[in-house]
Amino acid sequence: MMKQLFGKWSAIAKESIDRAAIVAKLLCLLHVTNTYIFSPTLVYGPSMLPTLNLTGDVVLSEYVSHRLGKVGPGDVVLVQSPENPRKMITKRVVAMEGDAVSYLVDPSRSDRSRTIVVPKGHVWNQGDNIYASNDSRNFGPIPYGLIQGKVRCRVWPLDGFGSL
Amino acid sequence: MSLFQQWAFLVKEALDKSFLLAKFFCAVHVTNTYLGSTAVVKTKNQTLPLILSLCRNPTISYLQVFGPSMLPTFSLTNELVLLERISTRNGKAGTGDVVVLQSPENPRKFVTKRITGMEGDKITYIVDPKNNDKTETIIVPKGHVWVQGDNIYNSYDSRNFGPVPYGLLKGKIFWKIWPTSAFGSVAKRPETVDPALKDLEQANQS
Repeated sequence: MMKQLFGKWSAIAKESIDRAAIVAKLLCLLHVTNTYIFSPTLVYGPSMLPTLNLTGDVVLSEYVSHRLGKVGPGDVVLVQSPENPRKMITKRVVAMEGDAVSYLVDPSRSDRSRTIVVPKGHVWNQGDNIYASNDSRNFGPIPYGLIQGKVRCRVWPLDGFGSL
Repeated sequence: MSLFQQWAFLVKEALDKSFLLAKFFCAVHVTNTYLGSTAVVKTKNQTLPLILSLCRNPTISYLQVFGPSMLPTFSLTNELVLLERISTRNGKAGTGDVVVLQSPENPRKFVTKRITGMEGDKITYIVDPKNNDKTETIIVPKGHVWVQGDNIYNSYDSRNFGPVPYGLLKGKIFWKIWPTSAFGSVAKRPETVDPALKDLEQANQS
C-alpha cells in the first residue's frame, strides 16, 4: 500500500520537475535574449526631445553592436551613467575618439561654445534637447566601455512606430 | 528504415547533442557572469591556457596585468585567481580591493588594479616615482574610483588615465589558487616592496 503511494508521489514529483525545467529553460532563453541580443526598453525624460517623448517610449535596443565596435556618431545609445553606476541614460553619440567636438556650453544662457578633442577610448554624447540634457557637456567624455546598447527603433506608442 | 527516416533520426540526434552543449555553456556562462569565475593573471606576451578561456565570460577577450604593475601581490609568472562579480555589481567593492576593470582607454582590454580611493576621497599620489617626489592631490568625483597598481614604479593606472567610472569595474579578485605556494586570500593592503619601508612599517605597528 505504501509502495503504491510512494510510486504515485514520485511520478507526480518527476512530472512537476520536468515541467519546471521547461519553464526554467524558457526563462533562461528570454533572459539571454534580453541581456545580450535585444530587448524592449522604457526610456523617459526631456533630454532627447523631440526624438523621444517626455513621458516615456518603449524602444527596441540591441546589445550586440557595441561589443563589435560598431557604434558611431549619430547613434542613440544606452550608457551607464558615469555619475551613478546604477542609472542608465539614453543619449546620442556625437563624436568618437580623436574627433574635435564643438559644443554650446550652456545654450539657455549664452552662446559660448568650446571645442574639445575626445580622448582615446572615449565617446562624446549629447541629448537631442541640449537645453535640458545632462550629458558629456556636464560630465565629460565617457569611456566606450560604459556603452551598454544601441537604440534601434520605437515600438510604443504605436503612432510613433519606426526607426529613430 | 527508409533513407529519409534514417536521415531524420540523425538530424534529431545532432540537435539533441547540440542543445545539451548549449545548455552546458549557458550554465557556465551564468555562473561566470553573475557569480564568479577563475581568471589567469598574466603578464604581457604570455598565452592563455585554452581550458580557462572556455570557462570565462565570452565578452572578455583577455585578462592582463600590464607588466609587473601588481608586484608583489601578483608575481611575474602566471597566477590563477578567483574572481567574483557580485561585489562590483552591488556597489560593495571598496578601498583596498583588487579589481578587474575595463580599461578606459581601450574597451577591449581588461586590467587588474587595486582601488585606493572611492568617490569623495582626497587622494595624494606620487606622479612619477621613478624620477622625482612630486605629488598631486585630487578629490575623486562622484561615481568614480581611483585605482593604482601595487608597484607604483611600473604601473599604468589612474595616475595616467584619471579616475575610473564605477561602471567599468567588472569583478573583484579575492583568492589565489595557483601556484599552490601562493594559495590564499588577496591582501587588502598592498604589500611593501622596499625592505627599508617594510622595517619602518613594522616599527610603526609595534
